Amino acid sequence: MTVESRSQAMAIAPQAMRARPRLAVMASIIGGLLALFAMAWDLQLAPGSLFSGLDKLALFGAAAIPPSDGGQLPRILKALGETFAMAFAGTCLAAVAALPLGVLGAKTVISQPVVHFAFRRLLDWFRGVPALVWALILVSAFGLGPFGGVVALALADVPSLAKLFSEAIENCDSKPMEGVRSAGASPLSELRYGLAPQVAPVMASQCLYFLEGNFRNAAVLGIVGAGGIGFELEERIRIFAFDEALFIIALYMICVAGLDTLSQKLRARLA
Amino acid sequence: MLELHGLSKRFGDTLAVDNVSLTCGPGELVGIIGRSGAGKSTLLRMINRLTEPTEGRVSWNGEDVSRLKGSGLRGWRRRCAMIFQQFNLCPRLDVITNVLVGVIAERPLPAALVKFFPASDRARAILELDSLDMAHAALQRAGTLSGGQQQRVAIARAMLQRPELVLADEPVAALDPVNADVVMDALARICHERGVPVIVNLHSLEIARRYCTRVVAMAAGTIVYDGPPSGLTPAVLERVYGSRSPRPASVVEAA
Repeated sequence: MTVESRSQAMAIAPQAMRARPRLAVMASIIGGLLALFAMAWDLQLAPGSLFSGLDKLALFGAAAIPPSDGGQLPRILKALGETFAMAFAGTCLAAVAALPLGVLGAKTVISQPVVHFAFRRLLDWFRGVPALVWALILVSAFGLGPFGGVVALALADVPSLAKLFSEAIENCDSKPMEGVRSAGASPLSELRYGLAPQVAPVMASQCLYFLEGNFRNAAVLGIVGAGGIGFELEERIRIFAFDEALFIIALYMICVAGLDTLSQKLRARLA
Repeated sequence: MLELHGLSKRFGDTLAVDNVSLTCGPGELVGIIGRSGAGKSTLLRMINRLTEPTEGRVSWNGEDVSRLKGSGLRGWRRRCAMIFQQFNLCPRLDVITNVLVGVIAERPLPAALVKFFPASDRARAILELDSLDMAHAALQRAGTLSGGQQQRVAIARAMLQRPELVLADEPVAALDPVNADVVMDALARICHERGVPVIVNLHSLEIARRYCTRVVAMAAGTIVYDGPPSGLTPAVLERVYGSRSPRPASVVEAA
């Protein structure tokens, strides 16, 4: 009986009766390890270079304690505010620009497959340019200051936000829209009552998430001359004022953590 | 008077509805019964043109409504309200806004887009909700209500359309027996008190027998019985549902 049922099962689904071959998994693990060693060799990731940098880092660390505001607390706070303003303005600008693009990128809006594919690939392609690269270009074009930074943050966010907005629109339930349509509503009212209440909280939550990220990125942009706290930090490090640099970093970390917590609470309420 | 003339719908190779003709007048509560896939939903959706017929004509009081476009079509949808199996409310909007969706076809577009509704419309919405015992939930989000409550909100929305005809596509299939009775009572009241014809797709033979003044049975896209519920003899039912002889599992699954 068991032999008979076994052969019967073999005949129905022979693959399912055999253990899966593990050879491919082993080969990729070994291949991955070999590649890791080759790359470490090429980049000269030797323990020696680690130790030679470590003692310098220790010197910097010693010089940074105790941290000090250098009597410039108001100026640092102002720069911190400027960084937040940059992040906020950049996110708002990106959201406004991403909304129409996101609508156009949704499969449910533009159902023509070639146009949809081309549009999405274009967004993906622009997503490859990080905010730092945009900032380098824009600061040389518009000069030093937050303006270039805000535009850089917005440009870097638009493709990602547009893609997320498109997905939010595609994932929404079509039944409420059908219900509104069945009452004789026009297409715009259908979007207003059937679609917007579903996607607006998702979009707002995504914007908050991007605001968190932009507040962190805005510091890096300051270093390339786009104003804000990064600019102050870069200045302190250049003149080896590590105690003041540590003060700024600590203050900034507290602000980032505060914003993240606040934003997470808001996003949890939107969900 | 609703008249369907030779209505057909083809999805690819399958003929979902095959040359159906039917008339229905005021005060009639017509139940459409039949197995899943018999074409009941498609037939109903072709009447308010959520699905476009492949062939045939729908007319209402002599007016051909199957050629309407744009605002004419929207006006027809306003006049022939639909109630869905899954309620099709907007779960994140509050109950009263969901009910007020019933009047947006008649409101100016800018006012509708900013959700501005005059007090008279709000009053009608509350009164319709109250007649279904739902006024207490007017400011609650629709998504927080139970299925039976949501269906009552959907009926209030349909009533705000001041419909001349009501279509209900499996309105009680997702509800427990008590709520099913509440919803069917409401539909019967609309039919008898306001003289509005109601066409309702039903799974349950027992509900069809209890509430409908007339039963239309469909099988494979065509009408196989049209008459009073009392005429549903075992022979008729066998034509509608097929014999209960054992079928391959896949067929039972699909049904």
